[in-house]
Amino acid sequence: MTRRAPQARPGGDAIQLRLYVAGDAPNSVAAIANLEAVLAEHTGPRVSLEVIDVLKDPRRGLRDGVLVTPVVVRVAPVPQRRVIGTLVDRAFVRNVLGLGEAIR
Amino acid sequence: MSELAALQAEVAHLKIQLAEVTQTVDAFKMGQVDAVAQDAGVSPVLLQAAQDNLRQSEQLLRAIFDGALDAILLADDSGRYTDANPAACVLFGLTRRELLGRTLGEFATPGYSPPAEWGTFIERGHMRGSFPLLRLDGGRRDLEFTAVANILPGTHLSVLRDVTDRRRSEELRNRLATVVEWSLDAIISKTLDGTIVAWNRGAEALFGYSADEAVGQPISILLPPDGTSDETLIMERVARGESLAYHESPRRRKDGSIVDVGLVMSPIRDGSGQVVAVSTIARDLTERRQAEEALRRSEEQFRHAQKVEAVGVLAGGVAHDFNNILSIVLTYSSMLLDELGPEHPLYDDVKQIAKAGERAAELTRQLLAFSRKQMLQPQVLNLGHVVAGMEKMVRRLVPESVTLNFVTSTDLGRVFADAGQLEQTIMNLIVNARDAMPDGGTITIETVNAELDGEYAATHLGVTAGRYVMLAVTDTGVGIAPELRDRIFEPFFTTKEKGKGTGLGLSTVFGIVKQSGGHISVYSEPGTGTTFKIYLPRTDDAAEAISPSKQPPPTTGGTETVLLVEDDDQLRQVAHTILHRHGYNVLEAANGGEALLRCEEFKAKIHLLVTDVIMPRMTGKQLADRIALLRPEMKVLFMSGYTDDSIVHHGIVDAGIAFIQKPLSKGAFLQKIREVLDDASVGGAVTP
Repeated sequence: MTRRAPQARPGGDAIQLRLYVAGDAPNSVAAIANLEAVLAEHTGPRVSLEVIDVLKDPRRGLRDGVLVTPVVVRVAPVPQRRVIGTLVDRAFVRNVLGLGEAIR
Repeated sequence: MSELAALQAEVAHLKIQLAEVTQTVDAFKMGQVDAVAQDAGVSPVLLQAAQDNLRQSEQLLRAIFDGALDAILLADDSGRYTDANPAACVLFGLTRRELLGRTLGEFATPGYSPPAEWGTFIERGHMRGSFPLLRLDGGRRDLEFTAVANILPGTHLSVLRDVTDRRRSEELRNRLATVVEWSLDAIISKTLDGTIVAWNRGAEALFGYSADEAVGQPISILLPPDGTSDETLIMERVARGESLAYHESPRRRKDGSIVDVGLVMSPIRDGSGQVVAVSTIARDLTERRQAEEALRRSEEQFRHAQKVEAVGVLAGGVAHDFNNILSIVLTYSSMLLDELGPEHPLYDDVKQIAKAGERAAELTRQLLAFSRKQMLQPQVLNLGHVVAGMEKMVRRLVPESVTLNFVTSTDLGRVFADAGQLEQTIMNLIVNARDAMPDGGTITIETVNAELDGEYAATHLGVTAGRYVMLAVTDTGVGIAPELRDRIFEPFFTTKEKGKGTGLGLSTVFGIVKQSGGHISVYSEPGTGTTFKIYLPRTDDAAEAISPSKQPPPTTGGTETVLLVEDDDQLRQVAHTILHRHGYNVLEAANGGEALLRCEEFKAKIHLLVTDVIMPRMTGKQLADRIALLRPEMKVLFMSGYTDDSIVHHGIVDAGIAFIQKPLSKGAFLQKIREVLDDASVGGAVTP
């Protein structure tokens, strides 16, 4: 399953995110909601988000080295960053993924 | 980019990486992850499900923890309790809050060292055992426990079980089992088909089979071989649930002998009430039968004693008057004979009257002897000498065909008895022995020291344990039939043909022996012979020489003044006549009051008071005591037909008192009076 953030624009994406979830498991549902909320507030460079359900596509998760869900991985720009969990600490999520002003 | 800037970027990157790691750990900690993929490449396990499972099993464990009947406790490394289930709180008698933080050491029973030190337990890793717990409220519980160290790092589990009640019920059961085991009654359990399954010591003792021999055997090994047993019928009834209150039945012992037992049989039921076995309690009746027999015998002995007592009261009652009457008959006939002289035609007729009177007197004497109301004048005697002194007389008594054996021992103890009565007793026994041997045989007269022990005393009415001298008279005659043995001492009971015996001989013997504090027993074997054994209490006093019969004083009369007191007018009159005719000066009184009056009236010396003992208002003894104050020099002679406690105690005449037994005969009366008047040792009216 691939989702795009509402504000995501087609063309070369500046920031590329992948969110690995496990079906409708509570933490996964919470992680999707929290990440979407973070992206909704986002005003910076274009962000593309791909949501991957490991229950439907386990090999994909393994191939990407994902052992735990939910996890959001910033695949671009390098270096890769990842936040595990429900992503409830949105400030932290923005910070790690380089979505906010705090990014250096 | 400067090198510094590059370094700064590197640090920032590392910081972010560290934050990532920290966050990952936190996410795990906070349960924010759902699934973990497995390296093996299979589908990832739902972490949430795992967590749910975990939560469920936690709930399960908690429910077990909370619901367990055993006390479950967790402790930290120092042994302090960190968790406790409700059962633990109940066990310790504390709330959870009170219990947590305490250590087991706080509940140690004084003087009881715990199974191991805490450190040893942790080191060993596990432990089981039992120990007593002393609760803070003082209650004591017996515990069994299992403990496991480090079920989680630093967490130690102990599971305690309260076995106090179980121990108690076990103890109770053991005690009950001991009672059953050691019961003197046989307690047996058998299955419904009659196989013995339990067998206690009582059963071993009663039936002779050991438990090993009996268990597994059919109950029929105990049944008498004649097939008379009702066992089968009873078993059927008990199997239906009936309890058999009590019945008596014969049973067979291992050695084949038959024993009568009392039985109680009851059904044994299982939990559902189904009869599964039968219990039998059996008691040996032999002892009880013996006890019943002993009781019957002692009751018989008692009845006999009562009968003797009743006859005694009767005899005593009539003897007094009867002796007075006989005194009159004897003295008047004696005086008549003197008066008439042998040549007179009526002399022989009067002689017959005198003889009849003497016979009646003898009968009265025997009655009194039997009823133990006669006068005894006991002294310390060597029974062997008494027997030896009778030898000549005894030899004249028995025919040639009877051999006489005299056996005595040299160290024979002394007895305190009336020599004359003893001679009478021995004569009676020898006459009986002779009569039991019409065709001749042997009579053995034996005197020997004997001891009667407590057991003998307990089984023979009226016997005191102690040292005795035994006189045994044994014959080789026809013997006494067992059914008659209990009756031979009864008055008027005789097996001799009419006219040959009065039936008072053995009764007299019995009375004399009993009155002397002795005991008589009889052993007889029909066709073989009979032994009578007389036991007289031994005394440690030295024997008095048996005084040879005193020669009657040459003169039987006198000139002294005699105060004669007798309430029977006829007797007083005849006594007066006798005394008067033989020269005495006689003052007469019908009772004590009159006697005192005579004493006051008569100014000269009164030498002798002759008084009846039993008189209305004032007894002879009371009179003598009163006169002693007025005339201390006056001597006293008492007359009586039977015992009375004023001058005799239990028939024994007090020492220093002159006494003549009724019925009076002229000769004996005069002789006794002369004796008292002449005897310096007989005191005045002052009596002890």
